[in-house]
Amino acid sequence: MSREKDAANYAIVFFVALSVILLIFPASKLAHTARIAVSYSLYPSMHYGANYGHFVRNVPANFLSLLETDQENRALKDKVRAMEIKLQEASSFTSENERLARELRLSRSLPWAGSWARIVNKTPADWYGSFYIDKGSDDGIEMNDTVLGMQGDRAGLAGRVLEVYTKFSKVLLLTNSAASAVCAIAPSGLEALVEGKGTWLLKVNYVPEESALAEGAEITTAPAGLLFPAGIYVGKVKKVYPRESFMNFITADVSPAVDVNTLKEVFVLRRNLPMELYSAVQGGAK
Amino acid sequence: MTVLLEIMVCLASGGAYWWWTQSLTFFGLAPNLIFAAALSAAILAGPVKGIAWGFFLGLYADMLGSGVFGGWALTYSLMGYGVYIMKHHFDMDSPFSQLVAALVLSWACLLFYQALSLVFSSINPTGLKIFLAEPFLNALAVPVVFQMFFWLKRRAGIL
Repeated sequence: MSREKDAANYAIVFFVALSVILLIFPASKLAHTARIAVSYSLYPSMHYGANYGHFVRNVPANFLSLLETDQENRALKDKVRAMEIKLQEASSFTSENERLARELRLSRSLPWAGSWARIVNKTPADWYGSFYIDKGSDDGIEMNDTVLGMQGDRAGLAGRVLEVYTKFSKVLLLTNSAASAVCAIAPSGLEALVEGKGTWLLKVNYVPEESALAEGAEITTAPAGLLFPAGIYVGKVKKVYPRESFMNFITADVSPAVDVNTLKEVFVLRRNLPMELYSAVQGGAK
Repeated sequence: MTVLLEIMVCLASGGAYWWWTQSLTFFGLAPNLIFAAALSAAILAGPVKGIAWGFFLGLYADMLGSGVFGGWALTYSLMGYGVYIMKHHFDMDSPFSQLVAALVLSWACLLFYQALSLVFSSINPTGLKIFLAEPFLNALAVPVVFQMFFWLKRRAGIL
């Protein structure tokens, strides 16, 4: 019993120490390498899941009854099953094509180059924090590329690429508590900082008290921001809060331009930042 | 051989959670199968294996999210140790006690992870909806996952 307790104590000390090292050195090369190694080792589940998830979802409802038939009937019904899958695929592709065609018409008018990517993973515990897309370094995706989402027929800022792997990338959403962007508020073009709150709303901060910040005002990314190109629609001011007694600026809630709940595909903009700016971005510039 | 099987079960638990969150979410909610697997392993296995399972499943959860890396690993490791202590005082084999333990530990884990996130990176990762609803889904999932792990332990000798 005592030996078991000793073993338990040694194990918890070892694993707590390991976890704390990962926690307190998040930016160190060692921790980053560990994270990449872990991510790579866990990729098969996501890779094959993304590849075959569509197929699994379309297995016909009568699959169980097919198993009960004799060999001849099974072969015959297999054919029907294959055709049904193709039919379902064709119908889902048709509706997807219609939607993408509608969105592409607008994307052509965007002055930026990039590519479309499909969202392949959303985690409930991090719903407004991040998700994975099915494009990676093989497709030319790079760190800090801007990620846009379509809401109706308008492109809005969804976030930026946080981690890049060969076939996948992780996107840090603007709604993440750790995300922010320098933005301009219409109509005056006043610049302020829009920050994520970890919920479906954003927060605009550092707005001078005397400015006429009105509900419904549109917010776009500002030229002063390093991470995002200027002019991307970020959201609309939803509620303006009065100045707190200990602050000399006001804040407001912002409805994001992109609703994460309905997002299926995103448009990844190539930033091609100069190398000297890249290190500044890595250092946390907005 | 059992080590390989355990690694496969560990990855399958993470894969199942990933699949569930992609295909079966209800209002953006899904039971946290990684938590359920960590708790079931902690109940069934000895202290060292229970803690190790918590750590590696936590790493998987850290990889899927964007929060502080190592946060879930630490949380689930401590949960594994906590369950080892609790097992001396409570019978954790019955579904009802697992249900209650899952409910309490879910909230404890969410609060602890929230505190870690605030301390290490000043971010607030847990939404109110998740905080209020997920523990109940976890409570329903844990007895089921426990039975699966118990069957695997009896048949394949894992844990």
